[in-house]
Amino acid sequence: MDVEGEDVSRRLHVKFVTKLDSPFKVPVNSVAIPSNVTRLGLSSIVNSIIESDNPEWKTEPFDFLIDGELIRMSLEEFLLAKGISAERTLEIEYIRAVAPRKEEEPSLHDDWVSAVNGSSPRFILTGCYDNLGRVWSSAGSCSHILEGHSGAISSVAVINSKDAETVTVATASKDRTLRLFKFDPDESVDSSTRVRAYKILRGHKASVQSVAAQKLGDMVCSSSWDCTINLWNTNQSTSEGESVSVKKRKGNNQADESQSEGEAVTTLVGHTQCVSSVVWPEHDVIYSSSWDHSVRRWDVETGKDSLNLYCGKALNTVDVGGEGSALIAAGGSDPILRVWDPRKPGTSAPVFQFSSHSSWISACKWHRSSWYHLLSASYDGKIMLWDLRTAWPLSVIESHSDKVLSADWWKGENVISGGADSNLRISSGIAIS
Amino acid sequence: MTKKKSKGADDDKMIETKSKSVSGKSQKQKKPVEKEVEKEVKSLKEEDLVQESATDSDYDGDNSPGSLHSDDFDSDIFDSEDDVTQGGTEDGDGESSEDELHDHEGSIDNEDDDESEQIDSDNNEEDGSDEGSERGEAVEESDSSEDEVAPRNTVGDVPLAWYEDEKHIGYDVAGKKITKKEKQDKLDSFLASMDDSKNWRKIYDEYNDEEVELTKEESKLIRRMLKGKAPHADFDPYAPYIDWFKWDDAIHPLSSAPEPKRRFIPSKWEAKIVVNYVRLIRMGVIKFDKPEEEPNVYLLWGDDSKSDQKSKHLTYIPPPKQKLPGHEESYNPSLEYIPTEEEKASYELMYEEDRPKFIPKRFTSLRSIPAYENALKESFERCLDLYLCPRVRKKRINIDPESLKPKLPSRKDLRPYPNSCYLEYKGHTGGVTSISTDSSGQWIASGSTDGSVRMWEVETGRCLKVWQFDEAIMCVAWNPLSRLPILAIAMGRDLFFLNTELGTDEEQEVVKEMLHSGNIPEPETSVAAIVTWLPDELHGGIKTRHFKNISSIDWHRKGDYLSTVMASGETRGVVLHQLSKKKTQRLPFKIRGLPVCTVFHPSLSYIFVATRKEVRVYNLLKTGVATKKLETGLREISSMAIHPGGDNLIVGSKEGRMCWFDMDLSSKPYKTLKNHPKDITNVAVHRSYPLFASCSEDSTAYVFHGMVYNDLNQNPLIVPLEILRGHSSKGGVLDCKFHPRQPWLFTAGADSIIKLYCH
Repeated sequence: MDVEGEDVSRRLHVKFVTKLDSPFKVPVNSVAIPSNVTRLGLSSIVNSIIESDNPEWKTEPFDFLIDGELIRMSLEEFLLAKGISAERTLEIEYIRAVAPRKEEEPSLHDDWVSAVNGSSPRFILTGCYDNLGRVWSSAGSCSHILEGHSGAISSVAVINSKDAETVTVATASKDRTLRLFKFDPDESVDSSTRVRAYKILRGHKASVQSVAAQKLGDMVCSSSWDCTINLWNTNQSTSEGESVSVKKRKGNNQADESQSEGEAVTTLVGHTQCVSSVVWPEHDVIYSSSWDHSVRRWDVETGKDSLNLYCGKALNTVDVGGEGSALIAAGGSDPILRVWDPRKPGTSAPVFQFSSHSSWISACKWHRSSWYHLLSASYDGKIMLWDLRTAWPLSVIESHSDKVLSADWWKGENVISGGADSNLRISSGIAIS
Repeated sequence: MTKKKSKGADDDKMIETKSKSVSGKSQKQKKPVEKEVEKEVKSLKEEDLVQESATDSDYDGDNSPGSLHSDDFDSDIFDSEDDVTQGGTEDGDGESSEDELHDHEGSIDNEDDDESEQIDSDNNEEDGSDEGSERGEAVEESDSSEDEVAPRNTVGDVPLAWYEDEKHIGYDVAGKKITKKEKQDKLDSFLASMDDSKNWRKIYDEYNDEEVELTKEESKLIRRMLKGKAPHADFDPYAPYIDWFKWDDAIHPLSSAPEPKRRFIPSKWEAKIVVNYVRLIRMGVIKFDKPEEEPNVYLLWGDDSKSDQKSKHLTYIPPPKQKLPGHEESYNPSLEYIPTEEEKASYELMYEEDRPKFIPKRFTSLRSIPAYENALKESFERCLDLYLCPRVRKKRINIDPESLKPKLPSRKDLRPYPNSCYLEYKGHTGGVTSISTDSSGQWIASGSTDGSVRMWEVETGRCLKVWQFDEAIMCVAWNPLSRLPILAIAMGRDLFFLNTELGTDEEQEVVKEMLHSGNIPEPETSVAAIVTWLPDELHGGIKTRHFKNISSIDWHRKGDYLSTVMASGETRGVVLHQLSKKKTQRLPFKIRGLPVCTVFHPSLSYIFVATRKEVRVYNLLKTGVATKKLETGLREISSMAIHPGGDNLIVGSKEGRMCWFDMDLSSKPYKTLKNHPKDITNVAVHRSYPLFASCSEDSTAYVFHGMVYNDLNQNPLIVPLEILRGHSSKGGVLDCKFHPRQPWLFTAGADSIIKLYCH
């Protein structure tokens, strides 16, 4: 054996492939690289290859996958850890690195920002501890203020944004009510217009913690400290029950006649403690997480829970997404973000556990289009982007100076977050293919 | 009188007759002495005429103490004779004795002697009647009575001059000093001796520093010895000789016959036996044991601890094993054994114990090896070792200390329990003295020394509400009913009921009605001096003013009654408030001692009242004495918490101890945990999880697993789980409360922060 060739590092024959479009493509040739390069080394190699073809190329960070797993150490160590032979030509797939490239101006609120929602690409919806909801068309420009609550807003949801003109949103508050608002996000005004709710949903006996809307937009569900999940109708005037409540409440609400009241259509009972979060990803399936340490899946038709995952910790947030929109991610009163796959038979153990945070997790959201990406926000002031293909966070956003209370994706490539520093922060330029 | 004695007396008579010559001599000696006596008697005559009564003593007193005259002995002999032969001569008196004395003076012959003997006996009759019994006893006791009684003084046979100048004469058996008796004045002692009829019999014992009064027997003994007779009367020097030798047919005791020949020639029969033995040995019938062979090689460095040395000696301690010498101890070891300069320098830096004992060195020849430098030191140490060597073999008990620990389940199996702090509630500007969670666990209220009461959202750490007061807050307590979101706050002498404005609208109406200040009824006269109910305009509630500062409050489980404790209120220190009727009543029993805190039983109508050293359990429905008294054994109780089952109570004390009481078991603590180095400020028990906690001024909180079993035969299981640190060391942790539904612990620190420890 030749001793001198082995002294510094061995050489590997690799081939770079990608699913990215033309400017990012490199010729499919095998190149020999030293085995001790890390992601940064690989990224600079790929950049230099592209640059050799395209002189106007601007350096772009890349992430690399071997057999569907992200490389987070030196190539040699990675191959050793995974038991992959270095003899044959390696095929390395590269993607654009997922990291925010730009930090937008913070949008200052009067109080803690307790909820953000970015499900509509046209605007950002936030809820605040000053009892007001706000609509932001872009960073720093507040178009609408949603008023009427007498308690801090705990959660906001966009019900219907498909309609061209007006959109419907719902806010949940600690004053035990939900309010539905209608506004036109595109109306261009200099100062923010104040909007009053067209419908007040009463029925919870304690603070409402979370609200989620059905895809079609006829119904919303809400979870509360009274251990229940209530389902409500959103439309203005179909139900006769509402008119009754209007009459009953007339004395109080003489000022604005337009407001109607709604009562819960169905109540889902089963949790034994505060239901902290609900999501409504499919037509008749609701997922909920609770402080009784469980995640439940509810069948809307029957009102029964069809799945009960026990976690052992009080949970604050839940989201469903990923591969086939079936993975359940939840975080709570410990720094671990857990992901379950309910399709896996016979086990209720989480399939992924991400534990880089140092405090409670306040929010987690799957990326709407990617199967692999999700974000988590924590009381330690950090937002972390995760890829299921590696156990390390892809990037850590440390823009908040205090607890992050809520975070969401916006328009596919931005992360919006609100926290106890009363700011809405937008981290943009996250390249998720 | 016993027969033996009379016989002895007869013997005396006989002896006297036999040794007349001796007695004659003694009588000759008597003469000059008697002249003295005569003089003295004459001088005493006038006295006697004046006082006739004390003649006996006078007569006896003639003789100076210690001087023994044969005359006295004579009279003594007569005494003893009289004891036997005395008839009706009791009429003798002083005058007759005087007559007899004159007789003595005049002619001394046997007949006179006989008479005088009789009269002397009369003289001594009064004594005799007393002493007769004593003497009898003395005789019974046998003559070796002196040997049996150990001397009082234990100094031994030393010159008594050594103790002349000391205050003591020696030491008794217990080793204590025997002090000298006070010496009487010579004149006093003389006068005393004049008065004492028995004085002539008294001898001063210098050795024991006491006066010994001789008994009759003893004086008789002395007299016999003076006469040159055997001291004991029983001894017969002239006993008939018994010849034990038989003189039947011999004129001489030994034979003079010549030795027979057979004594000089060897025995034929023995020779035959020897020949037989030789034959048997040659034939091999008789075999001898082979001589034991001494092993000529032995294991020089072998382990001799197992050798038979052990069996030979009872306490054989094998010598310590030395390490075998290796190459490095050679005078010229290989180079690799020699330490380098750096290594030598590193040895210098090491502690002396850790330094290697031997550092190899190289020498070119044996001749150049110096003398062993430590020889003197080591021989001295060896001497020290021998001198300090234990004389007794110590039996060391070889027990693994781990095995002495009680077998407790692993902490991992007892999850969940609070262990790490994730949330902090910041906002107070002074130390947080008290916290309380509402029944759902959504809110937590805290009171601080800065006079503010804050209400926090547990989930986010958001401060929702602040009430500002003038003084430091002592206690906060949520109403245990979720439909009555009322906060009770103790501040100084006032107890406030605050409306937290949580809950549904209907609930709010009830609360507002309850806290409406208009309908406060007239107080009962029995409590008017203690408590007054007043409206509280500032915070829109009601307050009650107590006559002393409130130290602790506790809600009853039904949310209507509230007990307040005033530490300095003594017997009136505990009162019960009824919120719905706005009434106050005193406890229907008297409290002994200073109350510290109270706790309501979680399901029954009992109240636990902790005074400084004890906890008493009272039945609220019955007036009278305590149903149970729990002896804590603590110096000062600081806090108390009850298990939700109601049968177990935890008491924390200011000396850092915590007691767990099992009420079914005993009134003594089931377990006492000494965990905190400083005062325990509070203890808490979880409502549903088997957890309890204590917090202390040492700024830590301890979390324990406290499992109570339904099975009465099984004792509660207590396992320490976690020490929660994090609060700054100044002032410590002032309160701790469990979350009502989660296994979480809130701790309130004097550093103005509330921390939430999660599992």
